[in-house]
Order: sequence, then C-alpha cells, then structure tokens
Amino acid sequence: MSEPLLLGLGLRASYVLRIGEVRAVDGVDIEVPRDAVVGLAGESGCGKSTLVNVLLANIRPPLRIKSGKILLDGVDLLEMSREEVRKKVWGVKVSYVPQSALNALNPTKRIIELVKDAITQHTPATDQEVVSLCKRRLEELNLPTDSIHKYPHELSGGMRQRVIIAISTLLNPRLLVVDEPTSALDVSTQKQVLKMMLDMKRNRIIDSILFVTHELPVLRQVSSHVYIMYAGKIVEYGPADSVFFNPLHPYTKALMYSVMTPEPETRERGLVAIPGEPPSLLMPPQGCRFHPRCPYVMDICRSSEPRLVPVGEGRGVACFLHHSEVAS
Amino acid sequence: MLEVKNLSKVFTVGLFSRHRIEAVKNVSMNVSRGEIVSLVGESGSGKTTLCRMILRLLEPTSGSIKYDGVDVTRLKGKKLKWYWRKVHGVFQDPYASFHPFYRVEHILYQAFNLLPGLSEEEKKIRVHEALKMVGLNPEEVLGKYPHELSGGMRQRIAIARCFILDPELIVADEPVSMLDASTRVGIIKLFSDLRDRMNSSVIFVTHDIGLAYVVSDRVLIMYKGVIVEEGDPLTVMDNPSHPYTRRLREDVPLLYRKWEGF
Amino acid sequence: MLRGVSKIISPELFTIRKLDASLAVLLTIFALGFVGSTVYPVQPTAVVGPLETPPSQLYPLGTDAYGKDILAQLIAGIRGSLQIGATAAAISLLIGVLIGLMAGYKGKIIDNLLMMLTDIVLLLPSILLMIMVAAYFKWRDPLLVSIIIGITSWPWVARAVRSQTLSLKNREFVNLSKMAGLSDFRIVIRDILPNIASYIFMAYVLLMSGAMIAETGLSMIGLGTTQGVTLGNILFWAQVLEAVRRGLWWWFIPPGATLVALAASLLMIATALDEYFNPRLRGS
Repeated sequence: MSEPLLLGLGLRASYVLRIGEVRAVDGVDIEVPRDAVVGLAGESGCGKSTLVNVLLANIRPPLRIKSGKILLDGVDLLEMSREEVRKKVWGVKVSYVPQSALNALNPTKRIIELVKDAITQHTPATDQEVVSLCKRRLEELNLPTDSIHKYPHELSGGMRQRVIIAISTLLNPRLLVVDEPTSALDVSTQKQVLKMMLDMKRNRIIDSILFVTHELPVLRQVSSHVYIMYAGKIVEYGPADSVFFNPLHPYTKALMYSVMTPEPETRERGLVAIPGEPPSLLMPPQGCRFHPRCPYVMDICRSSEPRLVPVGEGRGVACFLHHSEVAS
Repeated sequence: MLEVKNLSKVFTVGLFSRHRIEAVKNVSMNVSRGEIVSLVGESGSGKTTLCRMILRLLEPTSGSIKYDGVDVTRLKGKKLKWYWRKVHGVFQDPYASFHPFYRVEHILYQAFNLLPGLSEEEKKIRVHEALKMVGLNPEEVLGKYPHELSGGMRQRIAIARCFILDPELIVADEPVSMLDASTRVGIIKLFSDLRDRMNSSVIFVTHDIGLAYVVSDRVLIMYKGVIVEEGDPLTVMDNPSHPYTRRLREDVPLLYRKWEGF
Repeated sequence: MLRGVSKIISPELFTIRKLDASLAVLLTIFALGFVGSTVYPVQPTAVVGPLETPPSQLYPLGTDAYGKDILAQLIAGIRGSLQIGATAAAISLLIGVLIGLMAGYKGKIIDNLLMMLTDIVLLLPSILLMIMVAAYFKWRDPLLVSIIIGITSWPWVARAVRSQTLSLKNREFVNLSKMAGLSDFRIVIRDILPNIASYIFMAYVLLMSGAMIAETGLSMIGLGTTQGVTLGNILFWAQVLEAVRRGLWWWFIPPGATLVALAASLLMIATALDEYFNPRLRGS
C-alpha cells in the first residue's frame, strides 16, 4: 500500500480558557488515503472543525496542540514554522475552504483581485498569468469565466461556492479540505457543488478531499471513507458503504436512525431519538463519552474508556461491545 | 378546521419606486383535525410568509383565513386571543425566541394571558407539568437564563408553551433546522406526542423534504409563492407531477441510495 | 431588566482605558461644581474685590470687570451648565425615544407622519429655531433654556431608536409575546425597551454634551438664561467686555477649558460605552 496523503497520529489539542481546558481533539488518529473522499461527520461542538485546524497546522491561541504528528506527503507539519506552513503548504499542498467562506469574502474586491492577493504569496506568476490560469480552470469546470471580474455578491450562493472552491485549488494542491461547504445551499445547488468537487478529483486537479459535515446523506453520496467523531474522539471509521450499511458503534447507529430522508426505509424504520445532549468538552463524562446516552451501556463503559481498535475490512470502532469480538 | 383561501402577500419596497415582491400568490390550503401537514419549500419560496399570515403575525394583502368556519383574517382584540389560544406557533431559532434579559419561564407564564382565571398555584403546576411532558426536569431549567441552556432544551421549552395552551393547531416554522442531528428527532417526536395526546394538528414549515416525508400525513410543496403540489408523502415522492418536485426528488441526498453518475 | 443594569455597572466596563481617563476628568469637574462651593464659600454674584485682578492667593482665579470672583463663578457655572445639560438631555431623550418607539413599532401611517415631523425638525437649523424661541421670551430661567434646547435636539435619537425598534419588532420573542395576546404597550415596554436601554444610556451622555455646548452657543449671543450662572454666560460677559482683546485670560480660559473638557469627556464616555456594549468594536 502506498503511504497515505495525510496522516494524523495521536493528536491532542485544547482550547486553554479562563474557565478551564476544552479538550476539543482528544487522541485522534486519522488517515486520508490518496484518491479518496474522506468524510468527517459529527455534531456541532464535537471538535471536528478544531480537528481540521489541527490537521492544517493552523494553531493559534487559545488553541494549543498537546501532542501528535501530522504527516502530509510524509512531511511533519508540526515541525515547520507557521511562516513555512503558510508559504509552502497552504494553497500549495492543501487548500482549505472553511464554513464561513461563502459569506466572508471581502465585498469590495472583485474575485480576481482576491485570487491575486492570495496567490502572490506562493508563486511569482504575473497578473496576466493568474488571470489566464483562473479562466482556464473555470472553463475546465464548466463555470462562466466572466465571474472572475464580478464582485462576490453578484454571484448566487451556489456559484460563489463553486468559484471559491475552483480558485482555491488553482495551484493544484493534493488535498482539498472543505468544512460544511453546502449546508447553506438548497438541495439542487448543493448537488452541483458536490458534483464539481468530484469532477475536480476525477480531473486530477486534486487527489483527495477531506469533507467535514454533520449531514450523513451528503457524505453517503460523496465519500469513500468516513470517520465519525463524538466529543473530541473518533468513535468509528471505515469504508463508507460498510459503515453506512452496517454501523457498529451505538452512536453511529443512533445517528443513522435520526436521519430523515425521503426514502421508504427511513419511513418504515421510524425515528429513534437519542436521549440527552452531547457532553461539554470542558467536563466530558468518565469512561466512554457516549455512555450516558447509550442504550447498550455496560458497567465497564462507565469506568474505562474504550480504545479505537481495528475490527477488520479497514474498519475500526471504539466500543466495548466490539472489543470482545476482537478478543474472541 | 383551518381553511386558507386565495391568500396573497405583496411586499412593496422603496418609497417612490414601489418595487413589488409577491411573496405568496393566491394560495389555498386546508388542515383537518389531528393531521400533520408539511409545507415544504426552499428559502424564498414564501413558506415563512404564509406561516406568519396563518399565525396572524402578518397582514395578508388579500384572501381569507377561516378557522372552524370563523373568518379570522381581520380578527382583533379578544377574538384574536381566542384564535391564538387555538392556533399557536413555534419558531426556527431557539436563540431568538427568548428575550435574553428574562428567565426562560417568561415565555411560559406569558401563555397564561390567553388562559385567564388561573391562580398562581395552578399556573405553577401547569408549568411544571408541561416541562415534564417535553422531557425536561423543571428543577433544572426553571430560573435559568436562555444562554445557560442548549438550543435543544430551549426549543423544548418553546414547545412546552404549546403543552400549556393545548392548542388545536400548531404551526412550527423550521423547528429543528438549527439543531443537531441527535437532538432533532427528540423535538420532532414532541410534536407527534402533541398530536397523539391532544389530537392537535401540526403544520411543519420546512425546507427538509426528508422530514416532511417521514413525519407527515400530507405534504404541500411550495415554489416561488405558489403551492405546486399536494398529496400524501409517498405519492408525492414516488410520482411527482411538478418539475420542481421532480428536481427536488432527484437532488436531495439519500442515505440508502447513491446518486447516479457520481 | 435588572441584568441589563448589572451589565452597565459590571467591572469589565472599567478595563476600557478610555473610560478611566474620561471618567476621572468628569468626576473632577462634577466635584468642583457640586462640592466646590462648600470648600470655597464665595458668592458668585457678589462684588468681592478690586476689578480685573489676575489670579492671586486671595482670588485663585482672579476677578472680572465688576470685581466678582471668577472661581466662585466657575463653580456655580459648572453646576448651572450641568443642570441645563442634564435637563435638556432628559427632555430630548424622552421625546426622541417616544417618537422612535411609536414610529418603529406601529409603522405605516404613524411612522410616516412621525418621521416627517422628525425630518422637519432635523432640517430646520436648530440654532435658528433656538434663537427664535429664545428671543420670544424676555425672561429665561434655566428650565426654559433646557426646554428650548431639549425640543430641538431629539431628531437623531428618534431616528436611531426607530431603526433599532424596526429590527427588534420582528424578532421571534416579540412574535411570541404577540401570540400571547399582550398589548402593544406591554411589548414595547417589556421586550423592546430593555434591548435598547444601553443605547439610550449612551444617547443621554451624548445629548448632555451637546446640550451644554448649545447652552453656551445661546448664551454667547445673549439668549441664554437670565438667572443664575452658567459657563455660557461667564463667557458671554467676558466676550462683551472684550476680555480676549484686553488679555484678561483668567476670565475666559477657565470656563472655556472646563466646557471643552466636559464635552470631550462625555463624548469619550459615550464611545467607551459603545465599545463595551458592542464587543465587536473591542480590539483583540
């Protein structure tokens, strides 16, 4: 097997605040293979956006990294200075489209000016070259080339998101990281945005996508692998089809059962509510973090924390119910 | 029970140029007792405007709303209170529903303005009962300020208000769209509880065709201010007649099926 | 409501440095105005010494052309100006908030009429209006001057309160109150007003600084109060008797500087409060 594109090992990161330490990422191993779309799913406040920032080595106070390694193409990002990461990694090897991107563009600048500002840090290309590069890229993705001369508000939400993603990968980074890229869009525009991202991968503009979202049906459509995160930890991972059809962790199961899609299966199985609320990362529960809400809770779950162990077929799960299977 | 007939709302923007926006165009619909109806549409489809008109929070430009045979379109004063006692609303944003200066029970005690003649003791009992019915521990939430509770808990309190009032029709405007997946189902179940326990009708106003499909007896699809399709969810999804519904069906991501060509 | 108030007096407020300095200046002037006369019990209107003496041991700020003590006048003037400023600001605030709330909440015709009135008052040069009204009365006590200033300086408050009310009245909690069948009056008082309380507080501080400057303006052209002493009418007499040309600096500099310090510190307090209530403006 070839080495993974991105590998995070033993990552721990916290927000150090006056009221205490928020352990948003608490011992996470994650792997993005080449030629893959990896979905990272979890609810708001589970630490998935923090994990993304950690993986990008975008660590600024109050966020602090406690331990771990981040290997991008075999290079440890945590060994590099922030300046080095900014120059040699962001936009060059990995591009990131945050959740806020859709509405955070400077409204007084045209798209092309925003691109120029961003790109001159990484390449000595002239303005002329940047413009033709942009146009070629938009053409390749079937987007209107004149949109680069428009202001952000002149583009519709879906078009703006597509243009943002297209130009943020102008330098052909190997990895594209997107955080809830479509949650503000209606379903038809959402589909167009998703399709374009997969086209980019097909056209080899990028190798892999790390897709962060709380919407499981979206992940189902695009991802080849999924990671399920709960309260700062990965509770389950594996190839997408296998996880979606046979979820092992009780939390993953519960999430699947709370999904409402217009399909006979969901209507027939009905809805099952998960009791309680996600825990605070300031004071997570002892033992397994899901145990207060888990229908299968056992004594051991209250006292000790289950490790994330491989269970075959490239899958892993952090639950005592499945540890015994491995043992026996 | 509820009959909406040829309801329209036109917003005029600007003082002189009078730019007209027709948010809702000639919409007719009705809801019967004990029925769960979903009004589905994307943002800008006019669904929220329609819902505000039904709740009498917005004046319609033309058309009529009848409730139990009574024309409520222009009700005022005491009669309007009677209507709100029968038809009540729950809103999308569990943060904006609460005034940040008051304790959370404020919106519950407010409801007693529609139920005159209760003693303080009776009010207290009703508040406690309602909170228990929505799965909250009264001791835990009473006396708290809105920011001290999670979005899901706040939405439960907003629904507790409906349990106090015991209305015949509840209009819920995107009640779960700002909540997390794991808390959503619990909230949706409260509405079906209200139906089962009190035979209340519910109108879900939502952008989420999945939610509409799973919980409702009937769906209305709204597009550009017009109801373009209506029927029981299975038929509408299996056999959509309007192009918009067809597109919706094709583009909504599913859990058990993959899109073709992806 | 109570939490709104506790927010105003919370210790976090004092971490904003702008506030420390301007509050110190303001309190010093206040102390001078209100405690000054007990420490320095000289009658401001009494002729106490020789004419036009520069500051000395006996007369800390000298005397004016009639032999009246300037320090005593300054002390009384501060009190007079603050009283007019406070009263005039209260009057403007009352009118502005009432009109703003009504126009914003009621909308439609009421809004159009009230905003027309506001625009008219806003467009009329307020100093001209004040001159016209003031000239009509031969005797003007401080209250009348406050009223004259108060009824001409409310329009911007009304406009700002209206726009805030407009955005608040469509919030869900207002809709919930409406659906509980509460009266418009109760919704405005209990739901809307507390949300703009911090803004009203700020507007008051600004209005007060504006009113004191307006009082000086009126006094300088001889249309200020005809009773009592204010900073404005000390400056008026200094100007009439050509204190500047004749180099009698102790007569016009102290009241002038005090007025500037008062107005400036109030403005600073208003901006500091704005930063406090809008955390977005606070630098990181």
